[in-house]
Amino acid sequence: MSIWEKMLDLDRRWIFLLIGIACVVPFFTPLGLPILPSQEVIAIYDYIENLTTDNAIFVGFDFDPGTAAENMPMGVAVLRHAFARHIPVFITAYGPLGQGMAAMALEEITNEDSDDYYVYVNWEDWASIREQGITDRAGIEEAWVAAGNTLAENAHGWVFEGRDIAMLGYLPYFHLVILGMSSSIASQFPTDIGGNSLEEMPMYQDHKSLRDIDLAVTTSGSSACVAWITYGREKIGLPVAFGVTAVMATDYYIYMQSGQIIGQMGGLRGAAEYETLLLRDGYTKSPGKAFVGMDVQNIAHLLIIFLVILGNIAFFAGGFNKKTKLKGRR
Amino acid sequence: MKRTVPLAIVMVGGILFMIQYFIPHQYSQTLFNYYTEWAPIVGAFALVLGVGSLTRLHSHKIKRKAKNWQYSYAVLIPLFGIPFFALIMPQNLGGGMMESMGGDRLTQGVFDFAYMNIQVPIQATMFSLLAFYIASAAFRAFRAKSALATVLLFSAIIVMLGQVPIGELLGKWFPKVGLWILRYPNLGAKRAIGLGVGFGVLATQLKIIFGVERNWLGGAGE
Repeated sequence: MSIWEKMLDLDRRWIFLLIGIACVVPFFTPLGLPILPSQEVIAIYDYIENLTTDNAIFVGFDFDPGTAAENMPMGVAVLRHAFARHIPVFITAYGPLGQGMAAMALEEITNEDSDDYYVYVNWEDWASIREQGITDRAGIEEAWVAAGNTLAENAHGWVFEGRDIAMLGYLPYFHLVILGMSSSIASQFPTDIGGNSLEEMPMYQDHKSLRDIDLAVTTSGSSACVAWITYGREKIGLPVAFGVTAVMATDYYIYMQSGQIIGQMGGLRGAAEYETLLLRDGYTKSPGKAFVGMDVQNIAHLLIIFLVILGNIAFFAGGFNKKTKLKGRR
Repeated sequence: MKRTVPLAIVMVGGILFMIQYFIPHQYSQTLFNYYTEWAPIVGAFALVLGVGSLTRLHSHKIKRKAKNWQYSYAVLIPLFGIPFFALIMPQNLGGGMMESMGGDRLTQGVFDFAYMNIQVPIQATMFSLLAFYIASAAFRAFRAKSALATVLLFSAIIVMLGQVPIGELLGKWFPKVGLWILRYPNLGAKRAIGLGVGFGVLATQLKIIFGVERNWLGGAGE
């Protein structure tokens, strides 16, 4: 057996080991290479940047834990952006597991140990402010602070349940739910997941159907995201943005070109680009998980390219391109 | 009867909602609203069928001690155990589901515990394995055996390098060319495939609505 054949017959466990090392080592020795945001991501960022407290967005956690490494940072980044600008956010999930993903994202954002956390104010906790008839964002915060509540030093701000966020969660046959929400959100979700009436929420009073919504960002690991185009964008003209896994991103450039989506975050890179923009504009103090994860992707991509080149060198140098069959088992 | 009734429902429903989409009248909207409210309720009955069928299949396997019958417990116990804890068991005994978004919301009951500590790690692990298999497959299968395979190989390398910051360090043109490949040649090919699939879906749906394609009946009435 020649050296080239030995090389081609390399036990795949060595490759697994190399990939394992490539995935672990960058966490201990971060590269921190700069990431240049692409036009597709800037478009989403700028769109949200131009929204105000009078607008509202939907964020769909339309993925399962399998793709959370890529999709979760996208959802977290968009939520951070919306919370920082006090844009009301309705959170939904296309699949049953997505609701838990959304909860995990919120837990990350409201984690007090983080540098960039938001203080979550439960619906019941600010009932007295609502009873005074105060429903505008600035008024609520003013009354909340006047009531003696203070913001911790490392906290970015408050998130008022029912004014800044409504966790609607999962419903089966979600494409029908999108269709139904085009008439009334409350017809599909009479309450949020905590059982709080949507009709009583100030954010619902201003945005009763998808027609009153300014953007739907779907973070997805499957073709679920297309439902937002088919039933949201095409039926009622709802602006839609995608946050999809890297392997799926290639499928959805067609929607960018046709103008059916305003932008797209593709894979971990897309999430890292959004995080870079948040960091640039001071919405976060430190880079997010996607930015850190890009170091792993740097090394893993280089390793795979190296392996492909190595495989081709062995293949041609060994003259296997002229033989019909290699001796070894592959 | 077994064939005619389902065929008639599909034909009437299909034509009705094709037309409904283009009629903005109030009656049309009301009909549509009824549909969106009823469809999930009707669909929920499929859950009963699915759970029933799954339970029967796995309980038979256990009874007959069929091959790998032990794994059937891994299906049946969570199938009934998780809803039991989520919906029936009182909260002080580990029951209930995440209801509030404030506080320690994900670690309260068995339902959330199982999600966080079993389902999430299992799925994440399964998907993570892809990286290892992709690397191994790329090493063994990605060969420049022909002109087309060579084009594919170079495109893949450029796109891979263009997707990571280190690619830009190696050459400023990597991200630009990578994006160009994604935005133009990739887009053209995807659009062509998408249109082909779209027309195929349209043709199949028309065939189903008009009863030409009947495989979905599963041989009922034959």
